[in-house]
Amino acid sequence: MAFKGISIVVARCLSSLELLFGLHRGLSQANLRLVADGLAGALAIGVAAATPAAAQEKPGSLGLGIFTFTSGPAAAYGMPGKNAADLIIEEINAKGGIEGVPVRATYVDEAQGAQGVIAEYRRLAADAQNQVMVAALSSANCLALAPLAEQLEVPTVGWNCDTHQLLIDGKRKYVFRPNGNTVPEFIAYAIYLLDRKPDVKTVAIINPDYAFGHDAAKIFTAALKALKPDVEIVAELYPKLGSPNYQTEISRLATARPDVVFSNLWGADLENFVRQAAPRGIFTSSQVILALGETVLQRVPLPDGVIVGVLGDGWWMSPDAKANPETAKFAERYKARFGEYPVFPSIKMANTLIYVKAAYKAAMQKNGGKWPTRAELADAMKGSKVATLTGTAQTRADNDGLVDQIIGVTVKTPAQQFPVIGDMVRYRGDSLMPQAGQDPLAWISTLKPEFAKSLPKPGSYK
Amino acid sequence: MLNAIIPLLLDSLASAALIFFAAVGLTLVFSVLRVLNVAHGSLYSIGGYVAASICLFIASRQLNPYLSFAALLFSAVFVAAIFGPLIERGLVRWTYGKSEAVQILITFGLFLILEDLQRVIFGVQSFYEDAPMRLLGTTSIGGVVYLNYQILLIGMALLVVIGLRLLINHTRLGRLITAVVTDREMAQSIGIDTNRIFILAFSLGVFLAALGGALATPTSGIAPGLGADTMVLAFAVAAIGGLGQIEGAAVASLIVGLARVLAIYLAPSLDAVAPYAAMLAVLLFRPYGLFGSVTARRI
Repeated sequence: MAFKGISIVVARCLSSLELLFGLHRGLSQANLRLVADGLAGALAIGVAAATPAAAQEKPGSLGLGIFTFTSGPAAAYGMPGKNAADLIIEEINAKGGIEGVPVRATYVDEAQGAQGVIAEYRRLAADAQNQVMVAALSSANCLALAPLAEQLEVPTVGWNCDTHQLLIDGKRKYVFRPNGNTVPEFIAYAIYLLDRKPDVKTVAIINPDYAFGHDAAKIFTAALKALKPDVEIVAELYPKLGSPNYQTEISRLATARPDVVFSNLWGADLENFVRQAAPRGIFTSSQVILALGETVLQRVPLPDGVIVGVLGDGWWMSPDAKANPETAKFAERYKARFGEYPVFPSIKMANTLIYVKAAYKAAMQKNGGKWPTRAELADAMKGSKVATLTGTAQTRADNDGLVDQIIGVTVKTPAQQFPVIGDMVRYRGDSLMPQAGQDPLAWISTLKPEFAKSLPKPGSYK
Repeated sequence: MLNAIIPLLLDSLASAALIFFAAVGLTLVFSVLRVLNVAHGSLYSIGGYVAASICLFIASRQLNPYLSFAALLFSAVFVAAIFGPLIERGLVRWTYGKSEAVQILITFGLFLILEDLQRVIFGVQSFYEDAPMRLLGTTSIGGVVYLNYQILLIGMALLVVIGLRLLINHTRLGRLITAVVTDREMAQSIGIDTNRIFILAFSLGVFLAALGGALATPTSGIAPGLGADTMVLAFAVAAIGGLGQIEGAAVASLIVGLARVLAIYLAPSLDAVAPYAAMLAVLLFRPYGLFGSVTARRI
């Protein structure tokens, strides 16, 4: 297979040379493109040929391509990730870098769209110094980059992407996710809701109109139906991502009069929804679940009793996080630098960089202290178990992550000016994940109320 | 049934009011200057940013919160006074008499510049200031809680339609504008200072765009990208109503608002396409829009 690939590239290079020697005849647009392709192919061969030899020597710096949203409405979620990366990298470099090599990050703005993100990924991957890509925030971009990561053989760590579809085929060698995915994240909400409000009859959903919103609705609904079959979904709304105005959707939710309103809106969308829905009584007429609610606790006055979570274990005030001096230090430094405490996207990014650092250490231990190649690094990530700021990130054989899920409700505390998460539960990551290779929705449909009863209860995580 | 119809109608009107503010300035500028200003959406979002900034300033200094209502109006006047003459004299006037493609390219370039300018000045985070909305409280209609501010917006949109009609039909400026719209060369030949009319009309268009953004701020977030979304919607409304038709823009806003709200209530998956489906349906039968008419191109 590899031989066939090289043959194609070589053939393209030769055809390019032939075309170049025929320049006096002038080049058509198509031929010009072939020349460019050929030269790019030759360059890639050169890079690939040069990489293994260079990989055994410690480089002057370790390049990381970090993909996040730094503009547009999604920046409200993406910038905390970038801020955390800045802090953690600064901290790593202050301690001499990763295994003695200073880290240098190149940030890519995902707001430019998939085509731009792919082009940036290719550009960064062509530089052998960029050994790892921390990509990406958006599930859509993660899905777009995964085949490229395999093709270019670049270890790519999804720092945030949640879609369960990313690693579903179990065949990825270079794509990793040291996080949970949409399956455990949204089953957890169904279980918590039924524990807290067992008489729930009607549910309305308002999620963003793309894969993350639709997947979450599908998984949350499937889990609810499996655990309490008489629950009825009375409205499903999917406003456009980045929508600034939800007034009509709020009216629609109000007319449906649901017991529960579930939402996985995020970023500025979530802020806008909360600010618009609160004065119109949605939070008093229904039990509201905001799956990414923790990200707005410090910015929007959320009322008490809203079910919120962190899509994982990344709550900087959780009992485990508080017990970890590194986490407390990170939170205070973050607050001092950026004026707010880290939200869970910040923690996810920080944990991802800790994961990458641990992979280097493991890879170098394995190969006798030599600087690892990209392949050796990917190998070290597989099956790893890394202590993070907020718990543990375990990587399964299919490269998907096992991370605990923390959920609770908003409560006021005299210690902070904003609501915090109380009445918490911490579900073990592996308890809410199907086996590798198992169809998630088919697995969810097999869940029984007894399964939920066997799990920890709200308020048990203190 | 009635319980569902009242909220549906009220939401349609509230939605139409916001859409109307986004579109009316665009259509006014086109009717006078015959220029399709692609940067219109940016001026809308700049109005929103300025209004939110002033309201935040009022809140931070603990000034009388009712000043925020004046701030909404002032921000629109401020944006119009700065950007109106500047853009018209600096850029748009060079496009008079040029092909539509040149006009669109130049105003699109301006759109890109203004979008980046907003990022530089206001950053990439969402802006939100809801003091005017909170001050007015809420009302329960048909079992649904509405913001009194939403009802105020409906009234404001009506006022703007009536005000523009009065301005054009019953004031000297309005008659001058009508003369320029009817026959630019003839108006020039009888001594009307068309340059002045162009500056005033363009600035009025900018004022309406900025007012739309400012009035939307208390109930919506302002973030990068809003200008582009607004622009697309404003084009759809202008196309349905007929380019250059103010009453057309009002009726088109109602159609688009109703289409969107119906989609959200009955077929949520069609929410995003509903305004454009309405546009297609209208243009199939009325290619020049509901109030538009065929005009001969002078050579």
